Amino acid sequence: MTKYGMAINKTRCIGCQTCAYACKMQNSVAKNVRWNRVLSEGCDVVDGAVGQYPNLSRTYLPLACQHCENPACMKVCPTGATYKDEMGRVEIDYEKCIGCRMCMAACPYNARSFNWEEPVHEPGFAYGDKDVPERTKGVAEKCTMCKERTDRGEEPRCVQCCPMGARVFGDLDDPNSEVSKVIATRHASQLLEEQGTHPQVYYFE
Amino acid sequence: MNLIMKNKVLSAVCAVLAVVGIVCWVMQLSQGLSLTGMSTANSWGLYIAMFMFFVGLSAGGLIVASSASVFHIKRFKAVALPAIVLSTVCICLAGMFVLIDLGGIQRIWRLFTGPNFASPLVWDICVITLYLVINILYLVNMRRGNDRVVTIISRFALPCAILVHSVTAWIFGLQMAKEGWYSAIMAPIFVASAMDSGLALLLCVLAVLKKARIFNTSGDLMASLAGLLCTCIAVDAFFIFCEVLTMAYPGAAGAETLALMTAGPTAPFFWFEIIGGLVIPFCVLVFAKNRERTGLVVGASVLVIAGVLCKRLWLLLTSFIVPNVQGAPGIMSDGSWTLMGSYAPTLPEVAIVLGVVSVGVLGFELLAGWALAPATEAASVKAKAPAAAADMEDAAPSLG
Repeated sequence: MTKYGMAINKTRCIGCQTCAYACKMQNSVAKNVRWNRVLSEGCDVVDGAVGQYPNLSRTYLPLACQHCENPACMKVCPTGATYKDEMGRVEIDYEKCIGCRMCMAACPYNARSFNWEEPVHEPGFAYGDKDVPERTKGVAEKCTMCKERTDRGEEPRCVQCCPMGARVFGDLDDPNSEVSKVIATRHASQLLEEQGTHPQVYYFE
Repeated sequence: MNLIMKNKVLSAVCAVLAVVGIVCWVMQLSQGLSLTGMSTANSWGLYIAMFMFFVGLSAGGLIVASSASVFHIKRFKAVALPAIVLSTVCICLAGMFVLIDLGGIQRIWRLFTGPNFASPLVWDICVITLYLVINILYLVNMRRGNDRVVTIISRFALPCAILVHSVTAWIFGLQMAKEGWYSAIMAPIFVASAMDSGLALLLCVLAVLKKARIFNTSGDLMASLAGLLCTCIAVDAFFIFCEVLTMAYPGAAGAETLALMTAGPTAPFFWFEIIGGLVIPFCVLVFAKNRERTGLVVGASVLVIAGVLCKRLWLLLTSFIVPNVQGAPGIMSDGSWTLMGSYAPTLPEVAIVLGVVSVGVLGFELLAGWALAPATEAASVKAKAPAAAADMEDAAPSLG
């Protein structure tokens, strides 16, 4: 079995947002939506800082769908539009989504976005991978772990584009894969472990 | 008896509001849910709160009507018909709110071709459909006077009514991601608040019907229903106290959510529910003398209904305020990135809600006109006899 996963080196992340924009371009993500967000930890603003001057610190947390082994969103989806595929990714069948947003209430990571209106693309030309399906208003969407790319044997776009090489992608079921080794040797942890969702996205420092 | 023509002004106002609501809904269908105040951070709003509210309001009727047969409370039988009409209308409105909230209603057939039975939403759809069918069967058979069939149906109606509220509670109570929802007491609280808001609405409607000389309920029965309401308020308050104490005591994550509830943006709703929706009505209704005064009973009932509406709002919205991962929703607005979400219903959203409620009032007039019309002449004689007997029994000690 293949179980795709990712490990993100928080020490290497410089908060440049390249992954967030690369993701938008790859997946034709509309205006006002981000599948991939680089958060400044402990801050309500982008690029904020924690502490009191002059003792300030700033750390970044790149956040997208965690592709959980026990996905809360999949369990509550009334039509089975959200599913776990054979590669261990959590995916959405937009044709089945009725827009009830139960998944958005269930996801502990707020990873999902909703198309509140017909997607607007800015700049006004069709960007995105030719294989990525277009979404319409009224469906939920989120990181697919670049399903279309990874199906072709390529890395997700955020992994490929990170200038710091902070992201490692691979098969968690293969103990010899780079991602499995990194998780084993670098004491990688999962986000909100207490929620029991068992994310397949790991963070290490 | 045509109630729509009898209350021309009310009906006309409701018809106008209903049309405005429908126009807004069509706009929402063409534009998308961006017409509402909801956002990725606050992904459920007024519609879902109203859904919870109307599922609850529907309870009073069916529970009063069916307990007449199940627990042999003969006196309640006298108001069974208006009670069931009310229950039927309210559950239809609740269903309408869910449908209005859907972003892709044109794909709703997917629910029937590929339902995921692990989803509480699917349980809810099944149970609400069953509940509606039971209501209609109950209504039809009661109007025909099939007492035996009514007795059998009420055996199923009571557990089904309890289940409807529990399943609605589980939509929220099973979501571990939301600290304010994830609680085993959610289902009992929903049943209790459904009982008190539903009973309160029934009392208000009975008082209006009596005032309009459409359906007469004896003062004694009103007082006894008010007594039941008082008990339900106490049970609801007890459950809420259990919940709040459990959240507060460890001083951990629950206490943070509690602090939001009692002092955050949703605090006015919380305090109104506790004081206006529980404490004041209880203090009014706990005295037998007050329960005999229709004005006080109706006043307390209105407070209870308003309190439960506030409860639905704080329960739903408080859990969206602080995400588990700070800034996680990454809200985008007009190209700039703001990490905090906020929610306030928009005008069209409110118009749609008012429209649905207006449809409900019209629906009640229509259905009650049909259900009560011949019954008031033919069955009132039948209904009066036991009611009068009960009156005598109750009146005797106080007279003596």
